[in-house]
Amino acid sequence: MRQKRVYLAWFFLHFLLITAFSCRETISLLAQGPTLLPVSFQSYFQKAEIVASAVLGQRLPESNPARQALATYLHAAGIETGYGYFAPNVPGTYKLVFELHYLDGRVEYELPRVSSAAAGLRVAGLLDKMGGPRYDPLRETMVKMLAYSVWQEHPAATTISAVFGTIKLPTIAEFEHGQKDSYEFLYSYDFSRIDKTTERKSP
Amino acid sequence: MTRKEKVARFLFPLESDNWLALLRFGLGLQLLLYALSLKGDWNYLFAATGGGLISRNLGEAILSLESPFVPRLGWLVALGTRIGISEDAVLSLAWMALLVISCTLIAGLLCRWSAILAWFLHLCADKSGGLVSYGVDNFMTIGLFYLMLSPLPDRYALDQWLRKSRPKDQQWNGFLRRVLQIHMCLIYFFSGITKCLGSGWWDGTNIWRALTRPPFNIVPPEILVRWKYFLPAVGISICLLETGYPVFIWLKKTRTIWLVSILAMHVAIGLTMGMYLFALIMIVLNLAAFGPDFAIGQSKGSTNDEKRSAPARSAMDSN
Repeated sequence: MRQKRVYLAWFFLHFLLITAFSCRETISLLAQGPTLLPVSFQSYFQKAEIVASAVLGQRLPESNPARQALATYLHAAGIETGYGYFAPNVPGTYKLVFELHYLDGRVEYELPRVSSAAAGLRVAGLLDKMGGPRYDPLRETMVKMLAYSVWQEHPAATTISAVFGTIKLPTIAEFEHGQKDSYEFLYSYDFSRIDKTTERKSP
Repeated sequence: MTRKEKVARFLFPLESDNWLALLRFGLGLQLLLYALSLKGDWNYLFAATGGGLISRNLGEAILSLESPFVPRLGWLVALGTRIGISEDAVLSLAWMALLVISCTLIAGLLCRWSAILAWFLHLCADKSGGLVSYGVDNFMTIGLFYLMLSPLPDRYALDQWLRKSRPKDQQWNGFLRRVLQIHMCLIYFFSGITKCLGSGWWDGTNIWRALTRPPFNIVPPEILVRWKYFLPAVGISICLLETGYPVFIWLKKTRTIWLVSILAMHVAIGLTMGMYLFALIMIVLNLAAFGPDFAIGQSKGSTNDEKRSAPARSAMDSN
């Protein structure tokens, strides 16, 4: 009987966490929009997201032991995120192109490269994260790391320009009229041998 | 029967361990394919320094902001450094360990330790490579977490044949299956309800976008255009299948058709989007949760519980 009670206590805690974090992510996705709900709802979802985060201890200091214990359990059980894959709508996709400049004026183009399709899915996921609403310094650090890995393979290059953009997919109607994918510039970063980074942003 | 007893009977059914055998074998196979698919890129994806794609240190630093206690490859590398093993060698050893453990899981050899190590090593890779991880890693962690907690070995495991051990705690066995079943219901419900709120799932736009979006663009768009009137039906079906899962997977009349439809959906995702690992993990979790013994066995009018003898149940209830 006592054993059953322990099982039940874990059961309720476990599913409370799964439901709470799934609700929070759903609210977060709805706050970002667009959805079938009226646009005016978005501000309510934004407020609800803040409340949900606070209730789940996400606003506590990072060093708070309760927050750390909760995060450890969530990661260990694989329940730290919600399940809104490709929802409410399929997000845009991103592309990162490296422009390698050589002393003799030659210019080559490279993409982040992996050897298998399975790893390719992971790189695509990485680019999606880079294009997400994270803050700029992190994106720059990630681009810099990717540029460094390209540099390892092309040590003769003197400067590398990393151009990060989004791929605009045509609709069915546009495709039927002959329109193909187009590339929309988002950010550009220049790296030189002395590691001085400059960023140009689209207006 | 009181409500309390009904709840207890629902949460603690007496289950055979067929589902557990399926989960162990399926996750072993999944882990094997996971390791093999990353064979050529493993060190490149998880290196902290040198010629890696993106430094593992960055992923681990972001993870540390949430909690410094979540397992990561950095711990293994630090341990290796202490005894003079290079980072490259530690990463290769971790990959090889995953490969070996996946085989022992498939065979059912040293089940308990294999399950714990599989969960730990995969979690380390998933969390250290958080920037390059996606849905499949999340579902693998969920599956391996439940497998680690489950009463292994199951009856089909080599351990059972070699050691002739007695059947494990059936109550915990049935309870864990319920946990997996309810978890699957929540996964599909939240996935479905969020999709239902996107206009693109009702007019087929999202199916078109999902199938033409690199790197999932395996099917030529010219073929998709020929089926354009079919796309809204596919989108609506996905919304209904996922949102209705928590209800229709339990009803006797609909559970088989719902399970088959969900499995078909994942096979289609695997084939048309190239997400083979994602498709396999979802198929494994669905089959373990609501597999043949649940979908077919129970829909014929008798539950697994009812097949058990009354003395067995009273013995379990007295625990």
